[in-house]
Amino acid sequence: MRPEDRKQELIDIPMTVDVPYRFAAGKYMTKFLVELRDNGKFYGIRCPVCKRVQMPPRIVCAACHVKNTEWVELGPEGTLVGFTIMYLPLTDPTTGKPHEPPFSYGSVRLDGSDSVLDHFLNIEPEVEKIKVGMRVKAVLRSPEQRVGDLSDILYFDPIPHQ
Amino acid sequence: MKRNVAIIGGGQTYHAARRHDVNQVEMVNEAVRSALEDAKMAIDEIDTVLIGNMEFFEGTHLTDCWLVDGSGAYGKPGLKITTGGTVGATIVCGGVHHVASGLFDKVLCIGFEKQEEGDTGAILSGVAHPLYGRSMAGAAVGYFAMMGTSYMAAWGAKEVHSAMVAVKARQNARKNKYAHLKLDITVEDALNSRMLAYPIRMLDMCPASNGACAMILADEKTAKDRCANPVWIRAMDTAHNEQFELDWRDVTTKKPIFSRTSSARIYKQLGVNKPVDYFDVFEIYEPATWAEMVWYEDLGLCGPGEGFRLIEEKRTEIDGSIPVNPSGGVLSTNCIGASAMLRVWEAALQIRGDAGDHQVPKEVRRALTTAYGGTNWTVITALSRSLDD
Amino acid sequence: MPEDRDSEVFEVDQHIVAHSRYYAGRMGSRFYVTLRDEKRIMGTRCAKCDRVFWPPRSTCGRCFSQLSENEMVEIGPNGTVETFALVTYSEPVHPRQPPFIYGIIRLDGADTSIVHFIDEVDFENVAIGMRVRPVFAEPRHGNILDIAHFRPV
Repeated sequence: MRPEDRKQELIDIPMTVDVPYRFAAGKYMTKFLVELRDNGKFYGIRCPVCKRVQMPPRIVCAACHVKNTEWVELGPEGTLVGFTIMYLPLTDPTTGKPHEPPFSYGSVRLDGSDSVLDHFLNIEPEVEKIKVGMRVKAVLRSPEQRVGDLSDILYFDPIPHQ
Repeated sequence: MKRNVAIIGGGQTYHAARRHDVNQVEMVNEAVRSALEDAKMAIDEIDTVLIGNMEFFEGTHLTDCWLVDGSGAYGKPGLKITTGGTVGATIVCGGVHHVASGLFDKVLCIGFEKQEEGDTGAILSGVAHPLYGRSMAGAAVGYFAMMGTSYMAAWGAKEVHSAMVAVKARQNARKNKYAHLKLDITVEDALNSRMLAYPIRMLDMCPASNGACAMILADEKTAKDRCANPVWIRAMDTAHNEQFELDWRDVTTKKPIFSRTSSARIYKQLGVNKPVDYFDVFEIYEPATWAEMVWYEDLGLCGPGEGFRLIEEKRTEIDGSIPVNPSGGVLSTNCIGASAMLRVWEAALQIRGDAGDHQVPKEVRRALTTAYGGTNWTVITALSRSLDD
Repeated sequence: MPEDRDSEVFEVDQHIVAHSRYYAGRMGSRFYVTLRDEKRIMGTRCAKCDRVFWPPRSTCGRCFSQLSENEMVEIGPNGTVETFALVTYSEPVHPRQPPFIYGIIRLDGADTSIVHFIDEVDFENVAIGMRVRPVFAEPRHGNILDIAHFRPV
């Protein structure tokens, strides 16, 4: 605070805005989430022109401007493209609570996919234990517990003996 | 460019962690008055006002409306633009289009952020796909952390390289009276600072600053009549990436990502073969240290995977052969709505020779600036001292 | 295509909770402190335009003059209703339960008006041109609800 501010009381007014949203998943994302919930499977969608397999599945290939048509089953194994160990208790907006730090999460390219998916890693939050390029496998909640959300994935497990 | 466009004046606030003494209108007004004074212009002469910030970051909407007294926009035509982290430069882009089109002669561009007033984390979470990644809540720091691990794994860079970038930025900021984080730090200090998300430590990341920047753009006739040293905007380019692809985190990606697409296009437009020879100074948008090293590569200042060598060899220091961010960059000052405009304004100051203690010690005829916005897009601006440069 | 056949409606509920903090600045702070501690309402006068603004502001929008706390003047406390509306529906953000009355009130001495509640009167009896006076809250905290509402004089 600058010296001149100390003499005068400076007013601030706190406000909280709590905004509820209801997102429509849309046809393609619905299929992705329903397959995850009901069958424990991951699906991407392939562009007929450039052949990129895209996640989350989307109606149009942005590069080719054509409708994506071919559903491709992916994973459940994949390769770790990047990772971090989070030490900050940042709030998860979908729950209103933070994930307890430190925890590791990373970006996984599921086998067959060109896109990546971010999720927790079931690895101790120590740098020596996590390597870009390591092979990981998705671990899902039990079928009764799945709701059709990425939280149906508990985490990615490292695949042993790599 | 249909008509040539010049920056004929500008100003910025003294960026700070706390500005309890002013409300948003007053803070914006400081930058506006500073720009008008620099251009020796009255607000009545301005044809249109473009203003922008990060949407809802301060818990207010329609900033063009309720800031109208302080922005000088009362009764004038104008637009509000919000494009995430790139907004400061997008406003300049809008201003350039307004003047180049021939529809307006004198445009006031304003970018601002009163970060202390808002909930950056909560609103920024809105950038992530609600059904695909929002719950990770990594925020910007998590995002750049993943870029860091990808970069180190791909190219063999080490945490010490990140520390070198952190030191360069804050030592440069000490020479910039407007900068927020003027820190006399060493590599040791950076490596010992608190870990936020591996490998990003406190000193590897940008601050949250309160501040504003304003610039006045004009057509060629006005610029030549009214301004002793106009700075010419020769080209601007913008490019988006696909939403939620986040390829930039995988530094080995071969995809045509926004930073490479945009710079390639602008280089082609200007006939640039070697950017390190063509441009004398660079002001790039680096929310984290790793982003700076990746910008070096994406802008073609060095080859893929060589970015960390540039900083290691001190080539990008203020007195180096490729000075990058002599202002201290976003790592030293981040009032997000203004940050991308500050890159353009700081480059203009370098070309004018008005950067004071952080003026690079060589002739500056051409400069290049970048912006960065989640979810991955950029605005690249090329400036020059004269229309012959 | 498979996804067309299966027209399951899939929607996800989420919240974003954002906490913000508005800093009033020096002039704004003087307004709120005066309201809170002295129950007086201040505006700012632009001498060049000969206009008195509420809320107080540091720049005159019309002539761009810089205005300081020296240009602050007391306005009201009484005022005239310029227009009004009865709110009968409910939104989570509404500060009161319906029905309640919003009024746009021109305080004596001001050239611009204030939005506030009109209370202690039946809606049928509220009229444009009606004279009103502020009812101050107890206790007061340094925000606009330090005035609880306006009521007929």
